[in-house]
Amino acid sequence: MPPPLAAGERRLLWDKPTRLLHWLIVGLVAFSWWSATHEHLPWHRLSGYTILGLLLFRVIWGFVGARSARFGSFLRGPVAAFDYVRGRGAALVGHSPLGGWSIVAMLVVLFVQVGLGLFSVDEDGLQAGPLSRFLSPDPDVAYDRGRAIAHLHHLNFRLLLALIALHLAAVAFYAVRGRNLLGPMITGRAALPAGAAEVRPVPAWRALASALLAAALAVFVARGLRF
Amino acid sequence: MSPSFRRAAFLVVVFSALVGGALAAETGAQAVKVRQTQMKALGAAGKVVGDQFRSGKPDPAIIRREADKFEAAARILPNLFPAGSGREAGVKTRALPAIWSDPSGFAAAVHRYAEAAGKADAAAQKGDMAAVGGALSDLDHACNGCHDKYRAKEHG
Repeated sequence: MPPPLAAGERRLLWDKPTRLLHWLIVGLVAFSWWSATHEHLPWHRLSGYTILGLLLFRVIWGFVGARSARFGSFLRGPVAAFDYVRGRGAALVGHSPLGGWSIVAMLVVLFVQVGLGLFSVDEDGLQAGPLSRFLSPDPDVAYDRGRAIAHLHHLNFRLLLALIALHLAAVAFYAVRGRNLLGPMITGRAALPAGAAEVRPVPAWRALASALLAAALAVFVARGLRF
Repeated sequence: MSPSFRRAAFLVVVFSALVGGALAAETGAQAVKVRQTQMKALGAAGKVVGDQFRSGKPDPAIIRREADKFEAAARILPNLFPAGSGREAGVKTRALPAIWSDPSGFAAAVHRYAEAAGKADAAAQKGDMAAVGGALSDLDHACNGCHDKYRAKEHG
């Protein structure tokens, strides 16, 4: 066990890969929206593939990353979430039990968004996601299904916007109560509660290996499951 | 003129106006249906061509077959928008009034499609897949360009 920290000491909370990933996703979601509304679909696809790679990386990182990034450290049962809301939770490092589930919701909605995009077909049929080739051997059916999926892609984006709004509202809520969530996501450092165990960065080779694996998977999918 | 005759004449006029209106709406609705069927078929052709190019090695025979469809569509496209096949047709259509209020602009948009389709078809007949790819990009822009201006947005 790492030594417990004194109260108020600013120590590592979010490791570098987690922070970098967070801000890259912020930027690429914005870019995806912009490129879709301006009909730059080749750019839109590239952005989506990159987000897919980042999401895959985040999942891997949820198992091999620094402690605060691991699913096992922040996914707690409904009782813990309830206790936390009632103010009876233990001193926390990282995601609260509620925040942990909101991260999972965000990841799921992002995965669904990318997944739908991979099967979407544009209105003139010429542009389509790389997995749309599996929709049907009948081009008319494939086109109809791909269009239906494109609509779902659009609807799910609204769900994503709602989650982003909720996310920002939570950040604002804590800010009003005197807790800065934004700073640590930028600098990585936060004042941890007394007695909290230290978050130690993991070796860089893990990030590199995870990134390579995630990128390889994303490229494979982007090529329509072709090598 | 007796009042009963006048009434009969009035009824005939009203009735024929109603029938005429219904017939016009019927043909307008039919035109919408034909148009939507044709556009969907074009979308399906686009999907086939897109899949071919995304595979990395497009099959020239398939490309030739589908490019023919694009080219054929260019010839019937101007006929798919008869007067009365807009919103007044009484069925759901996203065709905007600008199609009929801005005929020269619409004709130019259709012409842009015809040019791109002709280029794609000519390249396909020659088996020049790279040139087809280039023409398809024009075709894609022609489709989107016209839809942006002359078709209502799908999502609010």
